[in-house]
Amino acid sequence: MRISDTLQTAMKAVSVNRSRAMLTMLGIIIGVGSVVLMSSIGASMQLVILGQISSLGARSMVIFPGSTDGGPNPLATGHDSLTFDDVDALKRLKTIETLAPVIFIPGKAEYGREEASTQNLGVVNYFFENQNIYLQTGRLIDDADNEGAKYVAMLGSDAREKLFGQNDPIGKRVKIGDAHYTVVGLVKPLGSQFFQNVDNRIYVPYNTARQVTGQKYVNYVTMRSTTLPELALEDVKSLLRQRHKIDNPKDEAKKDDFGVRTSSQANDLLGGVSLGLTLFITTIASISLLVGGIGIMNIMIVSVTERTREIGLRKAVGATRRNILLQFLAEAVVLTLTGGLIGAIGGVATAWFAAALVKTVLATYVFVISWNSIFAAFLMAAVTGLVFGIAPARKAANLSPMEALRYE
Amino acid sequence: MEKNIPLIEIRGLSKSYFNEGIETPVLHSLDLAINKGEFVSIMGPSGSGKSTLMQILGFLDLQTSGTYLFQGEPTQRMDDDDLARIRATRVSFVFQAFNLLPRTTVTQNVMLPLLYHPVIPHRERAERALKAVQTVGLGDRADYLSSQLSGGQKQRVAIARALVTDPDVIFADEPTGNLDSASGIAVMEALQQLHKDGHTIILVTHERGTAEHAERIINIKDGHIESDTRSFQRKFAGKGKALK
Repeated sequence: MRISDTLQTAMKAVSVNRSRAMLTMLGIIIGVGSVVLMSSIGASMQLVILGQISSLGARSMVIFPGSTDGGPNPLATGHDSLTFDDVDALKRLKTIETLAPVIFIPGKAEYGREEASTQNLGVVNYFFENQNIYLQTGRLIDDADNEGAKYVAMLGSDAREKLFGQNDPIGKRVKIGDAHYTVVGLVKPLGSQFFQNVDNRIYVPYNTARQVTGQKYVNYVTMRSTTLPELALEDVKSLLRQRHKIDNPKDEAKKDDFGVRTSSQANDLLGGVSLGLTLFITTIASISLLVGGIGIMNIMIVSVTERTREIGLRKAVGATRRNILLQFLAEAVVLTLTGGLIGAIGGVATAWFAAALVKTVLATYVFVISWNSIFAAFLMAAVTGLVFGIAPARKAANLSPMEALRYE
Repeated sequence: MEKNIPLIEIRGLSKSYFNEGIETPVLHSLDLAINKGEFVSIMGPSGSGKSTLMQILGFLDLQTSGTYLFQGEPTQRMDDDDLARIRATRVSFVFQAFNLLPRTTVTQNVMLPLLYHPVIPHRERAERALKAVQTVGLGDRADYLSSQLSGGQKQRVAIARALVTDPDVIFADEPTGNLDSASGIAVMEALQQLHKDGHTIILVTHERGTAEHAERIINIKDGHIESDTRSFQRKFAGKGKALK
């Protein structure tokens, strides 16, 4: 019997009872569909995060005060381990190209009757370069603003929207805490960096922030290394350990009181998240396909019993054990592959709809089809068909033609 | 040379079924020869062993002991695949319950044995099937679904299916058992026509009237051949003289 005959016979047998076939395939459809959907979302999120990392640049680094292993959010205020002297010392490192300390100014921003919860940062002009933040209109905060501790401000697009709507804010004065700042520029919308809304910020000169907060420490420092970020990372760590008298960072009593994050570390973190996601998807897929496979086996056994006389007839007209075995195996594989196809189409469609929805809140989200996962899901579906089809197929193949023909 | 060799020859053939160690003998040391082109009825009451004999002669089952020679070739050492190959090429069956595939057309039903035939090429299948369907007078219903046919028509489709591989022998197991008398006569006429065309036909039945269509009747009772008579002998016996 030719392979094409076997497949044709299998497809006909499956198509004869469509509603049963659909119910049988449901487990496989859900299994494959969820794998394709999750993989697509995973790949899209990976792109979003990669985009955020690359928006910072490969040489970008951040130093923040406080311990890195657990504890409170290192970017939150209240940690005073990074001093102005530390910043001056870091500036002298040869592996650092640009360095920009940041000070938070607590409080809401106000303009007239409008009030907005914004993130207010005191920065130097390198900050914009380090973070790939670009000017839209007006001008950037410059060295003169900083040295003169002027009361000027730049607005992110969301902060501008909240305070001024569509009106031009340049030249207007916003109030943060007790101080008034003249708006000199607007930055281009950037979306989010590491899931922080960068567009909700108000930037003022670093020295002005020092003045209004009276802080003796910085909240974090952004940097760009000259060459390899790894070298700069080592330099920064050894300098700060030396200055903070940390001889053995592994010692619980006197461990690092600062943390450094590089883009490559973020990439590694992303790799870990991807691995976790892959394991998660594989687990879902395995469970769904196992359940789907048991469903297929169940129905195939029922089918063999129902079609005992047909099997007897086929054997009577010359079918060998192998012919019958292959026919029923092919039916199981046709069921799982059809289920896989429907699942894959459903998964892609759902991922597309999900992408359209997410895009409304996360502009950088893109719809991605993970062909590898579709291929893997299909392969797993086919293997499921083969594995769970083998028992019913063997049952059919081993039927005696005479007994099968007599079956009532 | 081949003319002297019977198509089917059994010597001392016995068959027993075993269930949980208990032996139930069904056929007892039968001797029989059937020549090519014969139309033979194997007749007997229910439980006589006639169907078991047909299953062994049709390679659906194996004897427990004794010899079965098919065209002079011994069959007892054949494995499952050998038996399947013989069923695909040398013998065919017409069953009491028709055993047509549901939701399948007449032609597709008739084509079924060709799927498993090792020699007949794929491109000849449709043509052969249509020819067989026409032979049994159902050419105008070739595209009907099997469920759209009457009982008699279904059995004629089964006969066409038995014909399509051009086998050496056609076994018909109670072919009129599920039919009304008119349809039964039509089916028997079809089998007689096949016989006239040169086919060897072995009919299994418990009805004397049906068996009478054959030129030779082998009567089986309790697993033994009770009589083996030909039509001319039966005519003679009808005039009062017993003949063996």
